Amino acid sequence: MLIQYILIVATVLLVIFFLRHHGTTRAGAVVKLGFALFLVFGVVAVLAPTQVSHLASLVGVGRGTDLVLYALVVAFGFATINTYLRFKELELRYARLARAVALRSAESPEASDTEHDGTLH
Amino acid sequence: MGDQRDVWLVVPVYNEAPVIADVVREVRRTFPNVVCVDDGSRDRSSDQIRGSGAHLVRHPVNLGQGAALQTGVEYARAQPGAQYFVTFDADGQHQAEDVERMIQRLRNESLDIVLGTRFHATTENIPFLKRFVLKTVVLLSPALRKLKLTDAHNGLRAFNRTVAESMNITLNGMGHASQIVEMIAREEWRVAEEPVTILYTEYSMAKGQSLINGVNILFDSLLRTNARR
Repeated sequence: MLIQYILIVATVLLVIFFLRHHGTTRAGAVVKLGFALFLVFGVVAVLAPTQVSHLASLVGVGRGTDLVLYALVVAFGFATINTYLRFKELELRYARLARAVALRSAESPEASDTEHDGTLH
Repeated sequence: MGDQRDVWLVVPVYNEAPVIADVVREVRRTFPNVVCVDDGSRDRSSDQIRGSGAHLVRHPVNLGQGAALQTGVEYARAQPGAQYFVTFDADGQHQAEDVERMIQRLRNESLDIVLGTRFHATTENIPFLKRFVLKTVVLLSPALRKLKLTDAHNGLRAFNRTVAESMNITLNGMGHASQIVEMIAREEWRVAEEPVTILYTEYSMAKGQSLINGVNILFDSLLRTNARR
């Protein structure tokens, strides 16, 4: 069935695209376009269910609702990956910020080690 | 054993108050320069470190071992006279004698980094399941096979300034071990392994990372964008 190829190819391409270009302006724009398309598709599906059913039968899916469901699953998967990568990125920035704070307030032993001086070595 | 003042030990510490002071005192007999990175411990680790003669850098929040190592390396490489750097576990698993041999190799041979391995000498003291998982990691990692390394997740490593300068660990958690191996492959650092003894004490076994954490490591390593600086 055509839908199987479409879904698999779309998924693979999107994963590769995401991992290579995440965080760039272009990727951001593509994500927003994809989201807009998905919304348009949703509106069309509500307004003209028969059209969606027609489209579904073209790609080999039984009903229009099933097609909407498939699209939703793929969209959800990408939203998840996107969020995950975003979190990782934030975590890294947060780590760098915390590191800068930590390095600023580092304590060397001379300051706190007076009673131990001479007993070591 | 000669002058080791150009060597810096980086010790990531997370909730190790019962042992950290002894570990630091013991290792400072040989290596005077130790920096402990307290990774937001909730126990009294920091107080213990303060009295032990080590330098103390405190993360204001818990970030993970990878982040702590990076912080420690950044602190140590800014110290005057620092030439060699060692990552050393806080739980007393590692031995100062092993570090001495590794540093000796860095001084005498043309090497950039020496990694400790558990698999050259006898492996009987390593718990079976742990041995099995560690071996599997090696089989699955192309970088490890290419570099002919036998032990991916050994916390004991010694390296020179070249490596310390370009060390940039971005995986905050436990994925940093694989990331360091990737860096070695990418930057073409000259690498060697040195057999080391890991003491699996009751304390370190209770503290050690669970094997299920390997799933997290794998996930973090696979699903990663090109890390931007």
